Amino acid sequence: MSFLAPLFLVGAAAIALPILFHLIRRTTRERMPFSSLMFLRPSPPRVTRRSRLENILLLLLRCLVLCLLAVGFARPFLQRPMPAPPDAEAGRRIVVLVDTSASMQRGGLWDEARAKAQQRLRAGGANDSFAVFTFDRQPHALLSFEEWTTLPVGDRVAVAGQRLATAHPGSGSTHLGRALLAAAELLQDRNQTDTENRPGGGEIVVISDFQDGSRLEGLQGFDWPRGVEVVFDPVKARRKTNAGLQVLPDLDETARPQSEARPRLRVSNAAESEREQFRIGWVAGNSSSFLGPPLDVYVPPGQSRVFEAPAPPAGMPAERLALTGDDEPFDNVAFVAPPRRERTRVLFLGDDSGGDHTHSLYYLRRAFLETRFQEVQILQRSNHVALTSSDLDPVHLFVCVDSLPADRVRMLKDRLSAGGIGLFALSSAAAAPTVAALVGVDSIAVTEATPAGYALLGQIDFSHPMFAAFADPRFSDFTKIHFWRHRRLETNQIPGARVLARFDSGDPALLQIPVGRGTLFVLTAGWIPADSQLALSSKFVPWLYSLLEMAGGFRVRVTQHVVGDELDTGTGSTNTATRLRKPDGALETLSPDRPRSPLLDIPGIYALESQQSTQRFAVNLDPAESLTTPLPAENLERLGLPTRPTITSQDKKSEEKLRHLQATELESRQKLWRWLLAAALAALLVETWVAGRAVRTIVDGVPAGRSGST
Amino acid sequence: MKPAVSSPAASVPARDYGQRGALIDPASLMRIRSLELRAKVVVEGFWTGLHRSPYHGFSVEFTEYRQYSPGDDPRYLDWRLYARSDRYYIKKFEDETNLRCHLLVDNSRSMSYGSLAYTKGQYANTLAATLAYFLFLQGDATGLLTFDEGLRDFLPARHRKGHLRQLMLALEKPAGGTSTDLDTPLRHAAEIVTKRGLLILISDLLAPVASLERNLISLTARGHQVQLLQILDPAELRFDFKKATVFEDLETSRDLYVDPALIRKDYLDQVGVHNQSIRSLCQRLGVQHDCFSTERPLELALFDFLRAQLRRSGGVKRSGTRPTRGPG
Repeated sequence: MSFLAPLFLVGAAAIALPILFHLIRRTTRERMPFSSLMFLRPSPPRVTRRSRLENILLLLLRCLVLCLLAVGFARPFLQRPMPAPPDAEAGRRIVVLVDTSASMQRGGLWDEARAKAQQRLRAGGANDSFAVFTFDRQPHALLSFEEWTTLPVGDRVAVAGQRLATAHPGSGSTHLGRALLAAAELLQDRNQTDTENRPGGGEIVVISDFQDGSRLEGLQGFDWPRGVEVVFDPVKARRKTNAGLQVLPDLDETARPQSEARPRLRVSNAAESEREQFRIGWVAGNSSSFLGPPLDVYVPPGQSRVFEAPAPPAGMPAERLALTGDDEPFDNVAFVAPPRRERTRVLFLGDDSGGDHTHSLYYLRRAFLETRFQEVQILQRSNHVALTSSDLDPVHLFVCVDSLPADRVRMLKDRLSAGGIGLFALSSAAAAPTVAALVGVDSIAVTEATPAGYALLGQIDFSHPMFAAFADPRFSDFTKIHFWRHRRLETNQIPGARVLARFDSGDPALLQIPVGRGTLFVLTAGWIPADSQLALSSKFVPWLYSLLEMAGGFRVRVTQHVVGDELDTGTGSTNTATRLRKPDGALETLSPDRPRSPLLDIPGIYALESQQSTQRFAVNLDPAESLTTPLPAENLERLGLPTRPTITSQDKKSEEKLRHLQATELESRQKLWRWLLAAALAALLVETWVAGRAVRTIVDGVPAGRSGST
Repeated sequence: MKPAVSSPAASVPARDYGQRGALIDPASLMRIRSLELRAKVVVEGFWTGLHRSPYHGFSVEFTEYRQYSPGDDPRYLDWRLYARSDRYYIKKFEDETNLRCHLLVDNSRSMSYGSLAYTKGQYANTLAATLAYFLFLQGDATGLLTFDEGLRDFLPARHRKGHLRQLMLALEKPAGGTSTDLDTPLRHAAEIVTKRGLLILISDLLAPVASLERNLISLTARGHQVQLLQILDPAELRFDFKKATVFEDLETSRDLYVDPALIRKDYLDQVGVHNQSIRSLCQRLGVQHDCFSTERPLELALFDFLRAQLRRSGGVKRSGTRPTRGPG
C-alpha cells in the first residue's frame, strides 16, 4: 500500500494520548466523607503501571479510530500498474495542431512551437499514428493520417519535420475552436472507418500561444467523441509589451474634403505589457521612418484608446500607418484605402425630358442621391438621337418604358447578350413588340389590364436579390402600393422567364428574362402616378438600388477586410471579368464561373480592377491577434474540453510529476479513504457504546476502578 | 472486644489493658439506643463520693472570721462581734457543696464522622452523659453547653430532679453545625458560666490551636478548672485508607482528590504536630488534656476523669503544670 500524503501518518502518533490517559489514574467517582481536610493536601494524578491498564477494549478502540483517521488522511492506495494508456500496443491517433496565426510571429514563438511539435512526434510510440495540422483561420493539413501510414516507419518523423519547416506563421487570425472541432471530427471519422483495430478516441495536441484573441466559437456544447483527449502545450513569449493598431471603419457618407477625412485608429495594449507610450505615423513602403510628425499616444496596459490619425503627408499616398514603441512588430502596420467616389451610369432611353412629373424620368433622376462614396449619373437618349456603342459601354443599367426603334433594339439586344442589365417598364401594350425583340421571341401577347379599383403586389419572391433587402417582415409590406392599371403579359411565350412578383390577380408584375449573358427585367406597370404609387412609395429607391447593385454599378461597400476573409464579388452581378491585384503584385482573374471567391491572405492594399473601374481596399490583420495576453486556463476548462495535463519534458522532475499524477489518479479511483473513514466511524460508535456501558456501571454503583470515560 | 490498636493506642498506659477484660466494648455499648441507659451502664459499679468543694461560698455553715478589709461586702460584717470587740470581722462559711461542673460538648459536623459503627459525636455524647450521670450520682451540679460554630444549648449546672433528663435530651439532639469554631463557644461559655467550677471540653479539637489557646487562658484566668477530652476516630489517627478517593469535608463540603498511599506520612506528621501543640498548650496552662480514640472503652475515660479529679483534690490551681495523657 502506498500513500499520497504520507505526512499525515505522523498523526497516528496521537495514539500516545489515549494510552497515556488510560495509564493515568483518573479521578474516581467514589467519595469519602471525612471529618476535616485541614491535614490533607491534593494528590497529583498517578500513572499506573502497565500491568494495571484497564479498559483495554476502549483503549484499543480509541487507538484504532486515531490510526484509521491518520491512514485515511494519508490517502492510501494500492499500487498497481496503471491501465496501459489505451492499448499502447495498438497505438493511438494523435492530431498535432500547430498555431500559425499572426501572433505566432512574435519573437521565438514559432521556433519553440516547431520544436515542441517535433518532440511530440519523436515521443510517440512506434504504433502511434500522427496527423499534423497548422491552423489560423482554418486548419491546413501538413501531414494526414493516410500519409503517415503510407510513409516508411523510419521516415515519418523526418517528413513531418520537413513539412513543419516549410510552414511559417502567416497573418491569419486564431480560430482555435474551428481547428479543434476539425481535429475532433477527423478523429471521429477515422475511428468510424477504422480497419486497423485501434482503440477509439485519440489525442489532440495543441501547440499555440493561446492568446486572448483566440476564437473559441463552436466549442461550447460540442459533444466530444468518446476517448478523445485534448492536450494543451503552450508556448510563451519572452517579450511582453505588444500594442496593436486597428483602422476603424469610415462609415460617414456625408461629403467632405478629402484632406479633412482622417481615419480613426484604435490602439489596444496587451494586459501584460510593460510600456504604455507609443507613436503612430504614416510610413511609406517597408520603411520604418515616419512621413511627417507622428502622434504620441498613451495607452495603459489592458486598455484600448481611439485616436484620429495624424495628417497624411502631402503628395504621398496615405496608405500605411505604423505604430512604434512595443516589442512585437507583427501587428504594428495598418493599411488604409482612401474612400473613392464611384460613378455609376444609368441610361434612360425615351423621349422623356425629365421635367414632367407625370413621366418616368422625373422620378428616376430623383431616386439616386450623391454621397461621399457614390455618384449615379442618369443619361438620357431620345429616340430621335442616334445611339452609338460608346454611349452604352460605360453604362451599368439601361431603362426604357416605351417602344424603341429597331436599330436601337438591336444594339440593346447585343448589349444584353454581352452581359448587360436592363429594365423595361411597360407603359403601354404597344411596347410589346420591342420587348419581344429584346428577348428574342417573335411576339408577346400584352393586353391592358384595368383592375376594379386597384391592384396590389400579391406574391413577391423575397429570395431574389432584388427583393432580398425587403425580406425582413418589418419591410416586406408592399400593400400600400396601389396599381391603378398594368399590363397583362403572357409569360409562357418567353423562354426562361422568371416571375419575381405577381399582382393579386395572378398576373406577373416583374419578370426576369435572361438574354444571352445578360438579363432584362420587365415591369408590367409604370411607376408614374398614372399607373401606380410605386414611385411615391418608400420601396422605390431601395428597389432601384438593388437593381443597380445587381447590375454591378453599385457595390455594398465593405469597409473592413481582415486577412482570411473571402472577397465578396457580388451575387449574380459580375457579368464582366474582373481582376484582383494583391499587395505583392500577384494578379488573380475573377470570373463568374470561378467556383470559389478569392482569399485575402496577406495584409495590404488590394485592387479590384474591372473594365469600368478600379476599386481599392485595404486588408488588415484581425484586431483580435493583438490581444496577446495568454488565455486564462479556466476559459478553456469552462468549455468542457476533455483536457489532460501537459507533460512537456522527459527529465526526472517530469517523471516524478507523472508518477505523482498516476498515484493521484489511482487514489482517486480507489478512494480507500472512504472505507477507512467509515471504519473509523464504526469504531467510534462501538467505542461510544462500550464507554456508555462503563459509565452506566459506575453510576449503578458497581466499582469500576479507574475508568476512562468518554 | 477489639484488640489493642497499634500506634495511637500505644500511648495508653499498660495498666489499662489489664482492666480491659471487664470493660464494655464501645461498639456494643453504642447499640443501646437510650443515652441515659448507656451512661447508667458505664457508671454502674462506681460509687459516688463527695468532693470537697473548691469554692468557699456563702453557705450556712460558718467556718471562721476574717478581719474586714476595705472593699469587703459590709453585709457579711458580724455586728455582734463588733459590739463586743469593737472590731470589724467578716463571717466566712465553709460550704460542703457538690462539684459544679459544666460539660462543653462539640456538636459540629466533624463530630459526625466515624469509621466504626458509631461516630465521634455519639461517643462524645455518651461520654458526656456518663460523666453527667456519674456526677449526678455524686450529688454534683452538672450543666451542659453544646456548640458547633456557635452556641447551641445551655443548661446551667444544677442538681435537681429532672435536670439530668433534660441534659440527656439535649445531648441526644443531632449534630447540625457546619464547622468547628472553638473561639465563639468558649468565649460565650466564659461569659455565661460565672461561678467557678469544672469545665470539661469534649471535642475533636480539629480547629486552629491559636483560638483554643486564647480561650483557655481566659477560662483559667476566671478560676475555672478546665479539662480537655479530645475525641478522635481511629481512622483519623491512623489514616489507613487504601484507595485513592475524593475526600469530602463534612463541614465545608469541599472535595479533595487524595491518594492515601502518597500522603499518609505527611498527614500523620501534621496530626502529630497539631496534637503536640495542644498538649504543649495544656501543659503550659495547667489544663488536664486527655486524647481518646473512639474505640477506647468509656470506663477508662471515667477512670481518667476520676484520677484527674483526685490529682487536683489539693485545691484550685490556677497555674502550674500538670501531666497530660495521650490518646488511649
